[in-house]
Amino acid sequence: MAVNLKVSESATRENRLGSITGYNGTLFELAKSGCAGCLQNKKRTFQTTSNCAHTHCINQLAGLAGTLVVDHAPGGCSASQICFSAVKSRIPAPPGTLQHARVISTDLNETDTIFGALDKLRDRVRAAYDRHHPREIYIATSCVSAIIGEDVNSVADELTQELGIPVVMASAEGLRSKIWASGFDAYCHAASRARLKPKNERNNTINYIGFTNLGQDKVNPLFERLGLELIALTATASIEDFDRACSSVASFGQCGAQSSYLCGALEDVCDVRYFQHHLPYGGIGFERFFRDIAKHIGREEDAEAVIAEEKAKYMPIIEENKRRLKGKRVFIALGASFAYEYTRLLKELDIETVHAVAYHYDPKLDNANQEEKVAAATDVIELKLDVETSVNDGQAVETLQLIRKYQPDAVLTRGHDAGSWGVVEGIPALGCEIGLILMGYRGLAMFSTALADLVTNNNMLKNLAKHYKAPFSANYDNLAPHSFYRKVV
Amino acid sequence: MSECKLYEQNRTCCALGGIFTALAIEKVLPVLHAGPGCHSQSGGFLGMANGFTAPVTYPDSAVPSTNFCEEDVVFGGADRLRKLTEEALKYYNADLAIIASGCTSEIVGDNIGEVAGNFEDSDVPVLHVSLPGFKGNNVWGHSQVLNAIIDQYLTPREVKANKGQVNIFGIVPYFDPYWFSTLEKLERLLLDLGLKPNIIYGPGKGIAALNRVPDAEFNLILAPWTDLDIAEKLKEKFGTPYLHYPCVPVGISETTDFIHELVKYADLDINNAEEIIKKSESRIYYYLQQQAKAWYGGSMMPKRLFVNASAAAALSFVRFAIRDMNFIPYKVFITEDVPEERQTYIIEKLKEPKYDGWQDFDVVFTTDGGACDIEIKKVKDWSLSRATLFGTTWDELTAKNNAFPFLAISAPSGNDVIIDKSYFGYDGELVFMRDLYNDSIRKFLGSGAVAKLDVAKTPSVERKVQAAHVC
Repeated sequence: MAVNLKVSESATRENRLGSITGYNGTLFELAKSGCAGCLQNKKRTFQTTSNCAHTHCINQLAGLAGTLVVDHAPGGCSASQICFSAVKSRIPAPPGTLQHARVISTDLNETDTIFGALDKLRDRVRAAYDRHHPREIYIATSCVSAIIGEDVNSVADELTQELGIPVVMASAEGLRSKIWASGFDAYCHAASRARLKPKNERNNTINYIGFTNLGQDKVNPLFERLGLELIALTATASIEDFDRACSSVASFGQCGAQSSYLCGALEDVCDVRYFQHHLPYGGIGFERFFRDIAKHIGREEDAEAVIAEEKAKYMPIIEENKRRLKGKRVFIALGASFAYEYTRLLKELDIETVHAVAYHYDPKLDNANQEEKVAAATDVIELKLDVETSVNDGQAVETLQLIRKYQPDAVLTRGHDAGSWGVVEGIPALGCEIGLILMGYRGLAMFSTALADLVTNNNMLKNLAKHYKAPFSANYDNLAPHSFYRKVV
Repeated sequence: MSECKLYEQNRTCCALGGIFTALAIEKVLPVLHAGPGCHSQSGGFLGMANGFTAPVTYPDSAVPSTNFCEEDVVFGGADRLRKLTEEALKYYNADLAIIASGCTSEIVGDNIGEVAGNFEDSDVPVLHVSLPGFKGNNVWGHSQVLNAIIDQYLTPREVKANKGQVNIFGIVPYFDPYWFSTLEKLERLLLDLGLKPNIIYGPGKGIAALNRVPDAEFNLILAPWTDLDIAEKLKEKFGTPYLHYPCVPVGISETTDFIHELVKYADLDINNAEEIIKKSESRIYYYLQQQAKAWYGGSMMPKRLFVNASAAAALSFVRFAIRDMNFIPYKVFITEDVPEERQTYIIEKLKEPKYDGWQDFDVVFTTDGGACDIEIKKVKDWSLSRATLFGTTWDELTAKNNAFPFLAISAPSGNDVIIDKSYFGYDGELVFMRDLYNDSIRKFLGSGAVAKLDVAKTPSVERKVQAAHVC
């Protein structure tokens, strides 16, 4: 069990799970060495900008209802939070019902780096409390607060007493980990310390941990057939949602990156079983996942009926899309879980995945039963799933070389810019859906329709590619893929 | 209520965001000595949440970075930076490279000047700039980058000044959401007036435009305070005088004044200028007549104006809103940490345009982007005295919650793509009218609406939110 809520800091993915950001080979080899505990990370001599654990810790914490985050950092370390809060003014909701993420920076300056800024932190937390009266406050640490050695945890304990609400530290230093998902862990660690309580009773509820509950309306009826109500521990989840989640019969997550730590903590603290080795995406994924859950609560027959109905309902659309997509070759650049989930989805559609880039790889997750492998390794074992793959932390210059090498018909991606590198080369990119909306045969029907439409009519991109001038020299153009790894001496 | 200063809802980003000024100059390649996510913070604020743009030539994801981590704190990262720079120069087509350090590498004391010095013999000049976020925001970073280029790259001209050449400074690229289109339109106007505008940002400019900077007859600073240090430095180093104009002119009155001032300062052909003014104004008045029905022709466009924006945007829009659009400023928040010595000038320029029944209004200098929302929340029912809000994407929700017509005028401006939109000049008046009116009619039904509202629905429960997110 890797989750330890007794300590104030979450361990990074590198240290806790042996996760990596540098690899090239096959999924089969990756999964095999991951399972054997002998996975080696490859480091780079040349790299480009990546992403930040700090950002992802804060955007998740600030997304929770009733919460406020004090960022103990220079002002710029919370600048990108608008990217996660801008959506608030676009959501169809009655005026006055939504509020922005509440993130208040201590705006550390040069003097603070010399003399420390714990008094400033105390003042800002108090003032933030006065302004918004939240039900809990999280204090996020940063590269700067860590390097100057600020004892933030003591201040958090002190202010918990003073303000009478939980004030909890989240260890969100960007320099601690190359894996931005370590920031999700820091969020889950802090939120678990504030919100999880051991419970004896079990309710007919199942927890879903993810960014958003988009698609919940589509999957609720499926869980209801098993007599289960879904609790979404996503953005805007309240203290009460977390409280109810402590008595659920099971948890599952959107992916290993965002959800593993909180699911693991729920299992550890509240004995809520964490299902992670079969993710519920596409038809195959759904069947295995739904049978696992049904077996856990003794509702196997109901599950079989639901599976049969869902299959009958959506297979005609899926079959039609398979016909439209026959012979297409697809390139993937996605997170640690979804890179291989989509590899399986494509296989289900009889489409070749020419290469899958994962932004990192977790050889294991935070589930108690370590006999159960991570979803990608499970697919290698159960389905003989294999694909040429590499791992890079959003290294677009590496991904571009691979896109150029394979000249796929489409790039599947989301965020981190791999899509735009395909697009300028004339290859369409799909911003993939993840989470509940992708679940089951319905998810596969939706995805395959989007993909079939994506590869139809690319006049705009063909024209763009003709006029595009890449910023690279012939030296780069002539490099073989994977040339940026540091030579191991 | 605590008296402590708060810093909420960032209206600026990290000093490292200053690197976007380098990225705005064609083929100037930044090499970052900063944490793995430092650039994404600025890129999120200045790109994704500010018109969904990415820099050309080098998009964010192509920017080399050492991705400074824990082991570098212990062992130092200068060697890795040297190697990274070496490889970057090999793999990228660049005319100029600029090494930039962030907080972590600054605190541990890596000497980026020394690393840059290793590339003295390189075909591509390698400059260096220190951009730790604990020293300032992106506006400060912008100044550091321009100062580095002038100090370390530009050399004094050998010939006399090029008659009519004017360098344009003041607009902070990417931070001003409309920077590029404004510069494009400004360039066209200056050419029409008989000047030779020299702009360093954007396509087809690059190193050649940079090299021309010392040759200018004068520099034009089109901003209340940014780049005044640059103007002074250029004056000192190259003897170039400068014209300081307080803001980007928006609308008829401001643009005509701007032209007159330019004509006077640079001794331009007045007849040509008057011809341009006449033609442009009559075009705008044609549209104004067309739109008379929509604008104050029986509508209830709220005239009380809140502004929560950078000094540059606040000045442009407040002056225009008073002079040409009938607005009454109520309170103006200026949020980019303006140096104290520049604040009086900004207040003077904000309050310069008068109107009948003129009332004084408050101007607040702050780094607390959330202060405006708190101020607006003090009034419970804004339907009694409706107002309009010009601000950022953060403010869009405040506007929605209070049914204020809203215009994004300042960074981060993230719910719409901007592409070539600009409020500059005569045409800016039309863009403004179109945007604001279209927003306002989505917020008011008016008493003549044949529609029934569900009055039972009171806003009480916060709904599940679909977070825009990437994994």
